Amino acid sequence: MRVAVLSFAHLHAATYIRLLRDREGIELVTADPEAPPGDPTRGRALAEGLGADYADTWDEVFALRPDAVIVTSENARHRHLVERAAASGAHVLCEKPLATTEADAQAMIDACARAGVRLMTAYPVRFSPAFTALRSALADGSLGGLISVHGANNGSNPARSHPWFADPELSGGGALADHTVHIADLVDALLDGEQAAEVYAQANSVLDDGGPAPDVETAGLVTIRYPGGLVAAVDASWSHPPDHPTWGGLAMTCVAEKAIVEFDAFPPLLGGFNSVTGRGRWEAGGADLDAAMLDEFLDAVHTGRRPSPDGEAGLRTLRIVLAAYESLRTGQPVALPVG
Amino acid sequence: MAELEVALIGAGGIARTHLPAWTALGARVRVYAPDGQAPALAREFGATSVGSLDEALDGAGVVDVCTPTDTHREITLAAVAAGAHVLCEKPLSLGAAEAEEMADAAEAAGVRLYPGHVVRFFPAYARLRDLVARGGLGRVAVARFTRTGRYPTWSGWFADPARSGGILTDQMIHDMDIARWLFGDVVRVHARQQGHLAAPAPEGAVATGTAVLTHASGTISQVVGVWGPPATPFRTTFHVSGTGGTVEHDSLAHLDLRITGALSSGPAAGIPAGDFGESPYVTQIREFAEAFAGGPEPRVSGRDGVAAVRIAEAAAESARTGRAVELARRTTTAKTSTAVATKGIEQ
Repeated sequence: MRVAVLSFAHLHAATYIRLLRDREGIELVTADPEAPPGDPTRGRALAEGLGADYADTWDEVFALRPDAVIVTSENARHRHLVERAAASGAHVLCEKPLATTEADAQAMIDACARAGVRLMTAYPVRFSPAFTALRSALADGSLGGLISVHGANNGSNPARSHPWFADPELSGGGALADHTVHIADLVDALLDGEQAAEVYAQANSVLDDGGPAPDVETAGLVTIRYPGGLVAAVDASWSHPPDHPTWGGLAMTCVAEKAIVEFDAFPPLLGGFNSVTGRGRWEAGGADLDAAMLDEFLDAVHTGRRPSPDGEAGLRTLRIVLAAYESLRTGQPVALPVG
Repeated sequence: MAELEVALIGAGGIARTHLPAWTALGARVRVYAPDGQAPALAREFGATSVGSLDEALDGAGVVDVCTPTDTHREITLAAVAAGAHVLCEKPLSLGAAEAEEMADAAEAAGVRLYPGHVVRFFPAYARLRDLVARGGLGRVAVARFTRTGRYPTWSGWFADPARSGGILTDQMIHDMDIARWLFGDVVRVHARQQGHLAAPAPEGAVATGTAVLTHASGTISQVVGVWGPPATPFRTTFHVSGTGGTVEHDSLAHLDLRITGALSSGPAAGIPAGDFGESPYVTQIREFAEAFAGGPEPRVSGRDGVAAVRIAEAAAESARTGRAVELARRTTTAKTSTAVATKGIEQ
């Protein structure tokens, strides 16, 4: 199976390349023609550093007729690559958020449907075995009904290494666009795709003010209400210190009728102190969620079945982000259209 | 301390934490409770019980109001009229207008009124306040607070919104007060509550609330409250992020002493005790008692209590209407305790 990683704009491109290059049965090709010339973290330099085949143009990579593509361009540049991939008959795994506008996301979904290819949104956290256990416990009724969810997905500011994250034209926004969607997707999974009914958000750019993210919010709180009554309270801030030993994390507490369940997607395996760096020691634990997500995508490509989370799941969570920005503008909760 | 005559009104859970604190400070305490529980509580701690509110107020220098919230105003006004200083358990009242009336009455009578926002006296929160006030976190961007315990089914009035205000007002007001203490006045509130929100609450009821506070300083705070299933251990957490880094606390993460292996001894405790060291209830009552005796103002004022009720009332309105509620900016009328420097969080 030939798989193409398209664009290295997103940090996850390198992650996917590392995971795919050594997989049996995968012929990996990469392309990053829109990279700024001379950037050693992009383009051919990165591909060669990672030992991956590289194509110089989109035409060249699509001429190889990949069976599947992974789109890791800037958020606002997903659409043209997804449409082109669909037209060439390739199944698509698209980095989150799926797009920066509802029209783009819908066009991507439609293009894939018309072409008969699968579209998956890259939400790795729902592949955590612990989250699967939480889903099962809720589904089998042992926790009773779910009443509320509160969680935090904090990370360090990605614009420090990838400046486009702070350019709203390319990113669609700051921390709210980047981080609301992961917990929103977990709730989407717990609620079997129930579309949120209402979103309230507040944000500021106190952190990194005047730094690498002048035009977007760096801290944000979001409250999401679902038609069935569930409320999810999310801290989506880029509030994790850049000099911390880890990138950030995601933790979520579910309050149900019979129990309270805490889920940590990225628990440390080992702690301690590193005298060489003078910082805390943090050895990551938990499963490799990106690898599990790729398993799902590649299996869907193999078998032709529908992957999960699909493009519609990506659209549902994108709608929450768009409503959050509308709420920032109005200072009031924003109702989503009834799905 | 000179012999202090304290009238403790109420004999429920909070009265049980306050009475030994007063006794430890050498106060003489007479207990009155409308529900007839005063004699048993007084006996247990070597205090005396009296049979009426008038009898309790007669000659009392301090009145400690530990009754359900909907009775705070009436008892406080009676105490003020009798010339006594007042410690009133939080929330001061269900509505800000009532709370303001109570604070005004105390001011007019020349007596002190302090609300029992005891969380300000828990060491982790006091230290957090020090850290923020001295700029140790730089400019604070975002904070979140959680407060989780079993649903207070031990006393029926908690579940009744008309008496307690429900989880938003009764429980979450603790962290609303802390957020305002740390980051200054709140200008916008949005809140939601879910679960069992009415009386009676059966054993096993669960309720949760969530509020987002926007401070005039620009800081945003998330407050989450949980009244959980019966075996829910009491736990509070906070996480605060600023330009100078983060600070976090989990009351169950690092215990002085942890006992495991015993068979479950039934439902979890509903009201938190301190760790080792002085009980925060004693710290609170000592600070108030010193102020009553003419000492320095304590870390919380009656006006702080009014402001906390105003936030909780806005949260309740938001939960009812589904709208975010704007709070008018007010010049701080509180005394020195709220005028502590907020450098590090100002825009």
